Amino acid sequence: MAKSKKQRTTPVAPVQAADPLATLRPQLITGGKTPADVTRDICAPLDHSPGALWWSAFSVSMTALIVGTIAVTYQIATGIGTWGLNRTVGWAFDITNFVFWVGIGHAGTLISAVLFLFRQKWRTSVNRSAEAMTLIAVVCAGLFPVIHMGRPWLAFWMFPYPNTRGSLWVNFKSPLLWDVFAISTYLLISAVFWYVGLIPDLATIRDKSKPGWRRRITGFFSLGWNGSARTWHRYETVYMLLAGLATPLVFSVHTIVSMDFATAMIPGWHTTIFPPYFVAGAIFSGLAMVLTLMLIARKVMHLEDYITVLHIEAMCKLMLSMGCIVGLAYGTEFFIAAYSGNPYEQFVFLNRALGPFSWAYWTMVSCNVLIPQLLWLRSLRRNFAFVFLISIVVNIGMWFERFVIIVTSLHRDFLPSSWASYVPTIVEVATLVGSFGLFFSCFLLFCRFMPVIAMAEVKGVLKSPQRDLKHDSARGDAA
Amino acid sequence: MTPASAPFSTLSRRLALLAIVSAITLAIGAAISPVRTWSNLLIINFYLVTLGLGGALFIALTYVCNASWNVSFRRVPEALAVLLAPVGLGLLAVLALGREHYDWHPHGTGDAGTFWFKEMWCNSTFWFGRAAVYVSLWILLSRALVTVSRRQDNTGTLGLTIANKRLSALFLFVYAVTFSLASCDWLMLLEPLWFSTIWGVYNFAGMVQAVLATMIVLALVLRSRGPLRRIFTDDHLHDLGKLLLGFSCFWMYIWFSQYMLIWYTNIPEEASYFIPRMQGAWGPIMVVNIVLNWIAPFLFLLPRPCKRSESVMMKVAVIVLIGRWVDLYVMVFPTTMGDWPVFGLWELAGGCLLIGTFGWLFFRSFAKAAPVPSADPLLGESLHYHC
Repeated sequence: MAKSKKQRTTPVAPVQAADPLATLRPQLITGGKTPADVTRDICAPLDHSPGALWWSAFSVSMTALIVGTIAVTYQIATGIGTWGLNRTVGWAFDITNFVFWVGIGHAGTLISAVLFLFRQKWRTSVNRSAEAMTLIAVVCAGLFPVIHMGRPWLAFWMFPYPNTRGSLWVNFKSPLLWDVFAISTYLLISAVFWYVGLIPDLATIRDKSKPGWRRRITGFFSLGWNGSARTWHRYETVYMLLAGLATPLVFSVHTIVSMDFATAMIPGWHTTIFPPYFVAGAIFSGLAMVLTLMLIARKVMHLEDYITVLHIEAMCKLMLSMGCIVGLAYGTEFFIAAYSGNPYEQFVFLNRALGPFSWAYWTMVSCNVLIPQLLWLRSLRRNFAFVFLISIVVNIGMWFERFVIIVTSLHRDFLPSSWASYVPTIVEVATLVGSFGLFFSCFLLFCRFMPVIAMAEVKGVLKSPQRDLKHDSARGDAA
Repeated sequence: MTPASAPFSTLSRRLALLAIVSAITLAIGAAISPVRTWSNLLIINFYLVTLGLGGALFIALTYVCNASWNVSFRRVPEALAVLLAPVGLGLLAVLALGREHYDWHPHGTGDAGTFWFKEMWCNSTFWFGRAAVYVSLWILLSRALVTVSRRQDNTGTLGLTIANKRLSALFLFVYAVTFSLASCDWLMLLEPLWFSTIWGVYNFAGMVQAVLATMIVLALVLRSRGPLRRIFTDDHLHDLGKLLLGFSCFWMYIWFSQYMLIWYTNIPEEASYFIPRMQGAWGPIMVVNIVLNWIAPFLFLLPRPCKRSESVMMKVAVIVLIGRWVDLYVMVFPTTMGDWPVFGLWELAGGCLLIGTFGWLFFRSFAKAAPVPSADPLLGESLHYHC
């Protein structure tokens, strides 16, 4: 029954019903590709001028980026008073966007490092793009605190160094400073990890390019890669070590971001579950963004044989499990607020669900917990249009999660006379639009100039499961 | 009795004897120092339940991931999962006997109106009823997982693997909700005015760490004495070692998250948990807890050869298992026994009862099925596994 259903719904990954191992370990890459096919298919976009679809997407992204740039220039010239903040709600849109973008980056490190250590072969088709997405998202995130400083040209004051300002040191007790360290470390390690993974592919492009600028650039950055056994051995050792080093970063970055709130004595912010809850939420939102991007890239760049229903289904399962963890954290917060008997905690959570921002709260719950439950159904996990829709829904939900945590915990202060509301100004909205513009512009440039799929890694999973068994090992493929 | 159990009949008898002697000692303890004995019994039973539940969790996680490396020694966590029935009933009995330790009533703090939920939640009947529901659900689902796996020995049907995969997803969902609530009901409620949202995650981390260490010890014993010889390889050991290293770090991460956030804000109703544990005579025990659960496994398990060494792995696993007891000890004893740590005959008897009962029940349940799931379609991958 299960077998026949699988055969009916997976035309791209046929299974041999007679062989149970083939059912449990279906081919990840379809179309009977050879290593030469992989190189040709993945490098194809680099050799041709981009199509009309790419240009229109790039134009829209650049327009958004220009809108954002104008907004940022205006607010820096005028001051942070252009935002809708007030004395009660002193943190709102900018920090929401910061946390949102940092979170987006997490799936890249999860897929590239954690799933590598867990030997999930399906990651090979998506890790390159997910890592690029991480780098771009972290840059987008970093913009917001820098803009919030008001005088971004003094951003270097964030770093602790002996100075002539009397001597004025940064506040080591502040989680905001820990953010500086955590995020800059994250950006550095993610960039190194991405670059190291690119080296064999850069060498491939070098070898197939005609003499010219591309050959010179890829030749320089491929560090003299010659494909010998010794080179591969060293590469694999470095990759493994970097994966081990990057894994704690998946936890540390969003843990420290959560501490921006949890170390404050504000009901709704100060709660011990925040570190793991934020990490799970970050991975959840990151996976949603990877799905959004990969489903578009799959169609636009004709990668149907490389990003198959198995990859999408595996990511859906991960996203579902993360959504359930996030749902459990929402429930735990509510439960403990009631259990503790603390009237302030109880007020904050009831205010979230029933107060003036209840629309935002219920958007969050619906998008992050209720709607993703549909992914329990196998047929929906294999329906690309539906998965694309869900990924957008989760992106929206996770943005609202940060907005709900930040604004609803602040807007009704301890003293009712201090209660206030918050509405973002056009400048703030334009800045958010601009960050999306930056994100998509950079991602489209990445798709245009870099191999979007890790060719060297995908070639490693072309083998049939049976041959794989002899040489390789037992692997846990979530697909 | 299958041939797999033969080398263990003497060991089982000795463990049963140890359990009986310890139980008699604790019965005397119950007459002399009832609160202390009950505290010991709570630790033992919670420890045993989390081992059984951890076994089922390990099986479920590997099924949903389609993993194969663990198939060759899957009968070890399966035998752990079977333990849930007797030890779950034991825990319910201990809870029924110690209801007064969870007694909550408004202490005149705050507005009584804000406590309506707690009053309802802490109602004796509801509290015990919930415990019975949690334990029943765990027993039911873990038994189903084991039964399906054992049935596959006769048929080798692929459909049974798929059935267990679905069952595992259901188990994980139920487990996450019920275990979070159960750890609050059975351990956090010992201090009724204290609360921490991370408590369920903290207990999850400790549970996984302990069950990994237990599987390492058991698989090594079963390998040296026959049933898993040439089946449980150094590569399997290596991977269990990596997981233990990872989860030791995860435990420390969760411990630190809870401690740091409470320390940083220093709100009296939250700090009330850590003040007696950090500032009095309990302080050194908290340090020992961290050394056993994180520092020792981290330092020993970082080098690759250590994770493939039988003797190192055995020692580290035992350290972690002792660490798990210490972790539960600092959760329970400062509340029930006061400011001074006590360790004597009753705690030793408790530890012996834990080992004796566990070992006896485990080898009994392990002997009830073939030592290897011989017809599992993924067994071949597992036997050829190289990490």
